[in-house]
Amino acid sequence: MSQVKFIFGVCCIMLAVLIGGAAAEQSDRKIRIYGSVFDKENKTPLLGANIFILELKRGNVTDEKGNFSIANLAAGRYTLVCRLLGYEEIRRAVVIAEMNIKQDFYLKANPIELGAVKVDAEKDQQNLTEASQSLEILTQAELQKHRGQTLGETLKEIPGVTVLQTGPAIAKPVIRGLHSQRILVLNAGVSQEGQQWGGEHAPEIDPFSPARIEVLKGAAGVQYGSGAIGGVIRIEPRALRALPGFGGELSLNAFSNNLQGAGSLLLEGGSAKLPGLGWRVQGSLRRAGDAKTPDYHVLNSGFDERDWSVATGYNTDRRGIELYYSHFGTKLGIFRGSHIGNVTDLLRAIEREQPSSISGFSYDINAPKQNIAHNLLSLKTRAELGNLGRLEMQYGWQKNHRQEFDAHAPFSSQPPAFPTFDLVLTTYTADVTFQHQPVKNFFGKVGVSGMRQGNVLETSRSLLIPNFRAYSGGVFAIESWVTGPWTLDFGGRYDYRWFKTFRRLDEKVVEQIHDYSNVTGVVGLIYQFAPQWSIGANLGSAWRPPSLNELYSDGVHHGTAQFESGDLNLRRERSFNIDLTLRQSSERSRAEISVYNNRMRGFIFLFPDPEPTLTVRGAFPTFRYQQAEARLRGFDGAVEYQLSDLLQLGAAVAVVRGDNLDTNEPLFQMPADRLRLSTHWHLPDWGRLANTFIELNGALVKRQTRFPQNADYAEPPPGYSLLDINFGTEFKFGGQPLRFNLSVQNVTNKTYRDYLSRFRYFTDDPGRNVVMRLQIPFGS
Amino acid sequence: MNTFIKKAHWLLMLTAFALIAVTGCEDNPADPGDDNEQELITSVTLNLTELDAAGNPTATTVSVNFKDPDGTGGVAPTIGSLTLKAGKNYKGTIALLDETKNPAESITAEVKAEAEAHQFFYTAKDGAVGRLAVTITDKDANNRPVGLEYTVAISAGANATGKLNVVLSHYDPASKKDGVTRSDESDIDIDFTVNIAN
Repeated sequence: MSQVKFIFGVCCIMLAVLIGGAAAEQSDRKIRIYGSVFDKENKTPLLGANIFILELKRGNVTDEKGNFSIANLAAGRYTLVCRLLGYEEIRRAVVIAEMNIKQDFYLKANPIELGAVKVDAEKDQQNLTEASQSLEILTQAELQKHRGQTLGETLKEIPGVTVLQTGPAIAKPVIRGLHSQRILVLNAGVSQEGQQWGGEHAPEIDPFSPARIEVLKGAAGVQYGSGAIGGVIRIEPRALRALPGFGGELSLNAFSNNLQGAGSLLLEGGSAKLPGLGWRVQGSLRRAGDAKTPDYHVLNSGFDERDWSVATGYNTDRRGIELYYSHFGTKLGIFRGSHIGNVTDLLRAIEREQPSSISGFSYDINAPKQNIAHNLLSLKTRAELGNLGRLEMQYGWQKNHRQEFDAHAPFSSQPPAFPTFDLVLTTYTADVTFQHQPVKNFFGKVGVSGMRQGNVLETSRSLLIPNFRAYSGGVFAIESWVTGPWTLDFGGRYDYRWFKTFRRLDEKVVEQIHDYSNVTGVVGLIYQFAPQWSIGANLGSAWRPPSLNELYSDGVHHGTAQFESGDLNLRRERSFNIDLTLRQSSERSRAEISVYNNRMRGFIFLFPDPEPTLTVRGAFPTFRYQQAEARLRGFDGAVEYQLSDLLQLGAAVAVVRGDNLDTNEPLFQMPADRLRLSTHWHLPDWGRLANTFIELNGALVKRQTRFPQNADYAEPPPGYSLLDINFGTEFKFGGQPLRFNLSVQNVTNKTYRDYLSRFRYFTDDPGRNVVMRLQIPFGS
Repeated sequence: MNTFIKKAHWLLMLTAFALIAVTGCEDNPADPGDDNEQELITSVTLNLTELDAAGNPTATTVSVNFKDPDGTGGVAPTIGSLTLKAGKNYKGTIALLDETKNPAESITAEVKAEAEAHQFFYTAKDGAVGRLAVTITDKDANNRPVGLEYTVAISAGANATGKLNVVLSHYDPASKKDGVTRSDESDIDIDFTVNIAN
């Protein structure tokens, strides 16, 4: 019955979107972008530079005076790309409203042509008016510095992002103190639906696949739906090749700490017969053994990850269609010493300086362990509807299979024959967005999305979450009004989520229905008060229904030795976020600093119950999922300044304060204050070496002094400082361009434990790690 | 070509949306299955036989029970208490059962079969300290104590009330070394109230 209603609802909304879109007014297309392209060094005009508008996929080429012009444009926000062989590409975002605009480009010569690999020029032209909310982008060049590491480790670069770490293989991104169900991960446009209940469940993303990552900090519920309470991580794979030809990239990494080897091969091509038809294949491997702290190896902390993806698509000016399939598969060991019996055992483990089970290095992955597979299929289409606008539709299918194995079979020294948990989560999603042609100074889009999900426990020797089937649907509209230096964003969204759980109680199947619905809204304002400065203010809201583990948990959580008890009567959680962001961007410097206040109504968290739960294994402290009024506030930001052509200095800071306003106590597990200082020396070309740099980065992390009483077994670990060195260069070997990178993490081999490491009770964090990376782009 | 693409485009999307709405998930959440075969200890019993002055068993026996029929969580377990005579010695055994199975499964046998990976620890607490001493009498294949069989000695003195703590440590095969060090994995950890009477 509810299914019929759901389908009917989706159809109605789709119809409304189409009619609404058709009613959008036609706007005049008279505006022109023009300008010139020069060589940055000698200021001579450049002939044959390609200027095109990314969104419209059209453009022009410069004449012998370096001049270009793109006419007949509708008002809008566009990304201009200026490209010429032998020069670094420049991307620049422009907003055109009423008048013709002039844009000049000064291209920097690039001594080695590295095929499709872009040098980090995008950042130089950071858009001052792109978002009223705090937004960070990791470009290809930045991602390349972290190739082979987990997604979480890569994102740590961003101020305000930390990781909840469970050993070397499991790194969960934490945005401004929030993680798991409070963060939305969009992988190739599809909302990643993995098994997110639990701190030891990392996002199932191949760290080699992203070509670009955007992190939106704070509530972003209007465009992305429920779940985007703490932020959104958008992961974009490499764009399909539009030009005819064939190319690819081989990437090889070696890590000294856990003797990790990692590699990735990407091949791509574009059809000459049918221009616009492109394809891409990518595969990657990561194999690691036991990680090493300065004093000992962390037993059973290796992993074995194998991922691959294929994509093909056909794109023209008028329409496009893309098909993408990716597989993520990993087997990973969980540190043996974290599998404990009860609180007495845990306290004994904490008192010990070193874990009791230490052995030499090994690549073996034994129980306790996890086997995880995530498959994603996405079909995306785009149609340019002339004067109406653009219609985009995306269909996604995902299947997540998670198996968790205990340390051994019960009362036996044998490895377990069956997983303790064996869950299969299947998700179907559909999204339709219609972006209307600008009407006067209004730009915007409307959209509708639907989801269907089923979770099946293949075997379960412990009840963590029940089987369920879920449906959800949402409809949203978001508009921007641009005039002169002002941009005003506003939008609203309605979401509905329905799910039914199936449990076996006393030999009978018990069904239970939950449904939640809500509206969210956003208002944002950007004011570019000087050519190089802007300030953005964003008032956003998001909500999420309680997750299955919060409703149904009823058992002992291994590793933390606590009895967790869900509550079937939990209500939705809602956030109201205010974010103020100051941005500066000039040739020599770049800055983005945000302050925020995120008020959470019905914040769901584990509250310690004074009455312990008595079991045959002893007494366990009881934690119940409860709701309270909470507030997370703080500031984060980064500043970069180019002292000279050779030396660049940077600093990034993140401070977050989380409080339970009902009890006036700090929230548990909030990231400690941190500061990162960086120096980047650009070395002059030497012999065959070009684009050579040395970076020296220091991270300072304070001890977390704000934590709730009686909710933890050990005091937060002391603060620490880490030093990293990074060296990179590019050269040609027999005509083949290569990029080489050598970095040393934790140079001083410091012994430390991070507050957000879930193994901080048992073991130190990894020591020194020497990493070598080689990248070989090839093809035309 | 273009019209073909155009048609295919809409057709594909419509099919995709039809799929999401119409097809059932290939799996069936409605049947949660019945293989929740977690092995549990729901009953722990200490059986003690009083010994005479010569160390021979008498007809006097006492026992004490821990029972948690629904396992962890739910209804709290019931824990009995033990009354032992001052100045007497006892010979004891311990029995572990999983009563969620029908018939009840003996976990004692499993521990015995995996004796090299297990050891019981019996510790006097509170008022029983100094009055109650347990000596493990059985050994595993490596000649290390197990604790399925033991003797209890109660010293003479005034009446007292204290606790007997029973822990079953689970070891990785190589880590049961000295018969003294506990593992970080306790399968059992129970406090029984002990009354020492004259």
